[in-house]
Amino acid sequence: MYDDRDSVSRTIDWLTVLLFAICVIAGWLNIFAAVYDPEAKQNIFSMSLNSGRQLLWIGCAVFIILVILLLDYKFYEFFAYIIYGVVLIALIGVLALARDVNGAKSWFEIGSIRIQPSEFAKFATALALAKYMGRVGVRFDQLRTQITCAILLGVPALLILIQNDTGSTMVFSAFILVLYREGLTPWVLILGAFAIFVFVLALIVPQLYLVLGIAAVGLIVIGLTPKKTFKNIALVLAGCLLIAGVAIGVDKIVNDVMLPHQRARIMVLFDPMVDLHGVGWQVIQSKIAIGSGGLAGKGFLEGTQTKLNYVPEQSTDFIFCTIGEEHGWIGSLIIISLFIGLFCRIIYLAERQKDRFARIYGYSVASIIFIHFFVNIGMAIGLLPVIGIPLPFFSYGGSSLWSFTILLFIFLKLDAHRNQMTARY
Amino acid sequence: MNIKNSILVRVRIAFLMVFLFSLAVVGKIFHLQLVQGDKWRHMAQEKTINFQKVKATRGNIISDNGNLLATSLPFYRLALDPSVADNKLYKQGLDSLAYLLSVHFKDRSPEEYKRRINNARQEKRKYLMLNSRMINYQTKKQMETWPILRAGRYKGGVIFERTDRRFNPFAALGTRTIGYVNQQSKGVVGLEASFNKQLAGKDGQALFQRMAGGGWKPLNDGSEVPPEQGWDIQTTIDINLQDVAQDALYRAVTDHQANYGCVVVMEVATGEIKAMANLGKLKNGGYAETYNFVVGQQGRTDPGSTFKLPSMIALLEETQIEPTDSIDTGNGTFRYNGAVMNDSKPGGYGKITVQQAFEHSSNVAFVMMMRDHFRGKAQRYIEYLDAFGLTRPLGFQMLGEAVPYIKRPEDKTWSGITLPWMAVGYESKMSPLHILAFYNAIANNGKMIQPIIVKEARITDNAEEQYQARVINEKVCSDRTLRIVRKMLEGVVERGTAKSIRNNDYKIAGKTGTSQKLKDGRYTREYYTSFAGYFPADKPKYSCIVVIDGPQGYRQYGAEVAAPVFKEIADKVYARDLEMHKLLTAETAPESTAFPLVKAGHFEDLRYLCNQMGISNHGRELEEWVVANVSDNSISWKNKLARKDEVPDVTGMTLKDALYILENQGLKVNYRGRGRVVSQSQQAGTHILPGSSIEVVLN
Repeated sequence: MYDDRDSVSRTIDWLTVLLFAICVIAGWLNIFAAVYDPEAKQNIFSMSLNSGRQLLWIGCAVFIILVILLLDYKFYEFFAYIIYGVVLIALIGVLALARDVNGAKSWFEIGSIRIQPSEFAKFATALALAKYMGRVGVRFDQLRTQITCAILLGVPALLILIQNDTGSTMVFSAFILVLYREGLTPWVLILGAFAIFVFVLALIVPQLYLVLGIAAVGLIVIGLTPKKTFKNIALVLAGCLLIAGVAIGVDKIVNDVMLPHQRARIMVLFDPMVDLHGVGWQVIQSKIAIGSGGLAGKGFLEGTQTKLNYVPEQSTDFIFCTIGEEHGWIGSLIIISLFIGLFCRIIYLAERQKDRFARIYGYSVASIIFIHFFVNIGMAIGLLPVIGIPLPFFSYGGSSLWSFTILLFIFLKLDAHRNQMTARY
Repeated sequence: MNIKNSILVRVRIAFLMVFLFSLAVVGKIFHLQLVQGDKWRHMAQEKTINFQKVKATRGNIISDNGNLLATSLPFYRLALDPSVADNKLYKQGLDSLAYLLSVHFKDRSPEEYKRRINNARQEKRKYLMLNSRMINYQTKKQMETWPILRAGRYKGGVIFERTDRRFNPFAALGTRTIGYVNQQSKGVVGLEASFNKQLAGKDGQALFQRMAGGGWKPLNDGSEVPPEQGWDIQTTIDINLQDVAQDALYRAVTDHQANYGCVVVMEVATGEIKAMANLGKLKNGGYAETYNFVVGQQGRTDPGSTFKLPSMIALLEETQIEPTDSIDTGNGTFRYNGAVMNDSKPGGYGKITVQQAFEHSSNVAFVMMMRDHFRGKAQRYIEYLDAFGLTRPLGFQMLGEAVPYIKRPEDKTWSGITLPWMAVGYESKMSPLHILAFYNAIANNGKMIQPIIVKEARITDNAEEQYQARVINEKVCSDRTLRIVRKMLEGVVERGTAKSIRNNDYKIAGKTGTSQKLKDGRYTREYYTSFAGYFPADKPKYSCIVVIDGPQGYRQYGAEVAAPVFKEIADKVYARDLEMHKLLTAETAPESTAFPLVKAGHFEDLRYLCNQMGISNHGRELEEWVVANVSDNSISWKNKLARKDEVPDVTGMTLKDALYILENQGLKVNYRGRGRVVSQSQQAGTHILPGSSIEVVLN
């Protein structure tokens, strides 16, 4: 055995650390740009600004990184369930204790500090899932495994949903990608994609046409089927009926089950004029900010749309607007490349793990960061409904920065010790 | 496919998905920024340079004698164009300006203000919001004396950005009647809403540029459209009467813990509403102007016995009934088509005259009269109500006027008892204002006019629109009927249900009303009490209705709950209004009143008085006490006292003077009566016996 501290500095994946550092620093500069008031001559370090406070959070994050790296790598696997349990208790506690903030009950308030347990639920769930799936003998084609996984993921997701934090709940769908890598049938992904397709169709095509269209497609398929056995025709018919049922169901869900603000968020994707004073306004302001950036952008601190408070939440959920406005398409491309580089690197690192626990955890990290990245930017540019989740490492906020840091660095720690882990698979 | 291959495929798919999704994002951003870039840039520009509304000043709401009931007060925000001031002015003034700003706003240190202004000036910026807090006009005036700012817009660069806020100088007085405006300065209820069009004026527009920090700076490029000021609304509300009415009502609703109460006072001849107060119970048990029960739908309810007036008029017009005709109301309970009608007096009124039936508000008598005279002719009765203008809305100037609900024989809800029940004020729904308009018609010699609350809309002194009270019916009934019902209304207060409010100074005519409230289709033990009438009865000047809904406690009838409020208002109006007072008949002879009563007394006093009053007086060698001889509007004085040891003549003197003289002479004085001395028991000129008593009689 050799000294742990030495080994970490030699074996840690410095490329990932570099990508992380670039993201965090770029994020910090953009937070300053988002809240910068040219009139006030503010200082980026001023604690009255989001940027000053973010620097403090970054300092804390560095401390957290050191702690993570110094702890024994076995700690994470060993304590995975306990961490998971603690987070579950926190999630239940926040329901009982938290005050309503914008309709969501997701913050613990200790003095002036606010902590959002749902942020920490992400890495805790990833740890627990990795530990369970990493056990020798667990095979995903067994029903028992599937049910256990569903429970592990479902309980925190449900608790967060009760907190009225739809965005964070959706993040849990990231784990489907992980499970897919571990043997989940691709039909889940295909069906999911298909369901989204039908959902979108149902929203933009009048119901009658949709049903007629499905019938027409069904008839064509029957016509083209080489063997017109009773079984084949029945299968096609049943399929058509199912799709038609989904399409009609979507209509019902959107109109009767969804709350008005949720419905508006979806309808706005197809017509931003639907809700000009609410979500539509946000989306348009966001698009104006990004769109007006052009190829090269307006330059650092020169943006107008974000600073003038047109864009809502400009230093948290809509931080990408500042990037788009001030650094244009080139800047956006660089940021996106940065993220893609990070995902690819993490997936690459995950694949080189001999230990199942570390690999599954690595995939979880990549998937969670990816979902945040995709949903957040997709929302800012009007590709996806407005769902309030942060852009990893960029958005202002201690809880989110720390949770992504913890998520990533636990994996880097595991990766640094990959040679010490015995292959269990 | 073996496991290894399968995993390889899955990993590749994972990479592919990341790639595809990222591609979608990059593509969409490319589309936004480069393909549609111009469009968004244009929109961004529009967002920062923009035609904006320049708010027109909202007109005032004015009481009948010119008091402001609602007005818009200007508030300002202080901004500065720091590039305007020349170096000398700037250098001299900056320190003290920064100090004054810091002291006034208390949010930044003087250094901080100084630095902000300095920075803005160095950057050659044209606009700096010094503080976004609103300041009032007085503060603005004060600030206009501060260094740099006092040099004005073109030398000092000061910019006061104006916004208006609505203010009711009489605070809670008639809040609901006056109404209020929303955030967008649009009238929501009351007169603010009903006359929003006139009050609002027309917004203008001007080009503004958005400044960092959230303010807008006007760009003067000649394209602006100036706003048109809103019109003032001249109401008929008399602020003193409103105060009296609201005050009386407030005490009544609080005493009785009523659901709500309302009062309208109207000028008989013109239909002008002088006061309109509404008080609804709040959740915390207090009362406030929450809803206009006088006019609105929620105040519309079974009118109760006040509706006996139109019924009585219909009966008098239709038939030959005389007020002296008698009706046997029996024991006060009357069965009619299976329903029971009761009189409020236990045991009933027995045999009474029509006049008494009205005065005591006998339901039984009315049901009997309706049965006798309108049975099978329900349509006739409804036609009378139509003619009285009771079946259609008044077309009042305020929005949300309740529509009267009067059943007709062809309606499905019309039943065998509808007609007699209607006659005593059930099964219909009327607003208090509507009932009052009808009572006003009786006070106004049968001429029914639409109540009016706004006389004109004007800009300063130019009337832009004038509003006339429409005549609903020139003559609601014949003069004979009018005479009879006015007697009856007076009788209600003289001898009838409202005799508790009778007084000797002036006469009130009116009618009490008490109706059981309908809840879920059943009549409950909760009452709706009212009193409608006019005063002074012989020469009506004001009509008034008082409604107290749902009084709690043992007093439940209109006579005990609503009528006293009416009396209180009428008393105060009477005390205030000299026109209504009868001339006091002269008590002394005309000459005496023309010339002051001067008989005898202390000479210096009397001479002083006469000189002050400009009465010529003269006399020679006069002593202390004199007697006056009046002739041809002038006075000649004569000495009153003869000798020291003789009893003095004190006739014609006041008691004070007589006591002084007699007691000085050592006499004991007894006196009777008041006024001036007319006789004395010891004759003048007789010898004085000191210590003896003398009796003087005054008159």
